[in-house]
Amino acid sequence: MSVDVKELQELIEQEKSAEEKARAARQEAQNAVQAAREKAESVIREVESDPRWEEMRRTRKAQIARGRAELEEEHKRKIALLEKTAQRNFEKAVAGVVKEILRVET
Amino acid sequence: MSLLELRTEIERRTQEEVSKIIEEGKREAEKISAEAQAKARALRDERVKALARELDEQERAELATTRMDLKGKLLEFKFEWCKRVFEEAEKRVSQIAKGGGQEYRELLSKLTLEGISRLRGSQFVVEVNPRDVEAIRKNLKAIQQKASKIKNKEVALRIGSLSATTLGGIIVTTEDRTQSYNNTLEARISAATRNLVGETYRILFGEMKE
Repeated sequence: MSVDVKELQELIEQEKSAEEKARAARQEAQNAVQAAREKAESVIREVESDPRWEEMRRTRKAQIARGRAELEEEHKRKIALLEKTAQRNFEKAVAGVVKEILRVET
Repeated sequence: MSLLELRTEIERRTQEEVSKIIEEGKREAEKISAEAQAKARALRDERVKALARELDEQERAELATTRMDLKGKLLEFKFEWCKRVFEEAEKRVSQIAKGGGQEYRELLSKLTLEGISRLRGSQFVVEVNPRDVEAIRKNLKAIQQKASKIKNKEVALRIGSLSATTLGGIIVTTEDRTQSYNNTLEARISAATRNLVGETYRILFGEMKE
């Protein structure tokens, strides 16, 4: 095969161009990987800053407040009932204590 | 190989290499993305579980504290009512003593006899509030007779006045001061308070379960 100088230069140029294309392709690939890494970091960060966590806390706080209010209501009902019972039985209880104080064994 | 073929080959190789590089980059990027998504899912699941555990714990703790506080208030409420019963009982017993009526005079006699029956010996001093000296003196003979009957021997009684003020009742002491029986109303109220707390709660609050 006989190659003249011009054609050789063109071949060299083509090789250079091929290298340039490969370099550009590597750069493009690297950029894609870098973008994927950044996106991956962002996806992980998003987990931490997910508004769902705050929502879960708010929901639970409200649930606890409702639970506490229910317990307090139940307590009030119980106290009211005990108050009535105690008022009704007060005289009997006092009489029992007085009787015991005055009870003498001989 | 002709020049054209050579150029075509270079072109083909270049294209192949470029495609390969781009394809590898794309695969690597997809892999990173897939791994990140999987990691994020796992993190999210873990976070949901951890947060749910934390919130469960918080809820249990806060409601347990509330229950404990309310239980404390309930006990305090019951205790106050019980205290009121004993205060009222003390007031009524004190009024009976102050009234000095027949019921109280009989009580003084019985308290004296109870004291005597609990002590050894036959010579006793019955100490009372200065207010009650006269009341006990009136019944002294009858008390002495009953005491002799209880002891199965002659009993001698002497009346003494308590220096300290008392609601009422008596303190019986042997003449030699070696034995003593405190039957003052304070002592009896104190004993009743010790012994009757449970029963008073039961009467006050009935059969109600907490």
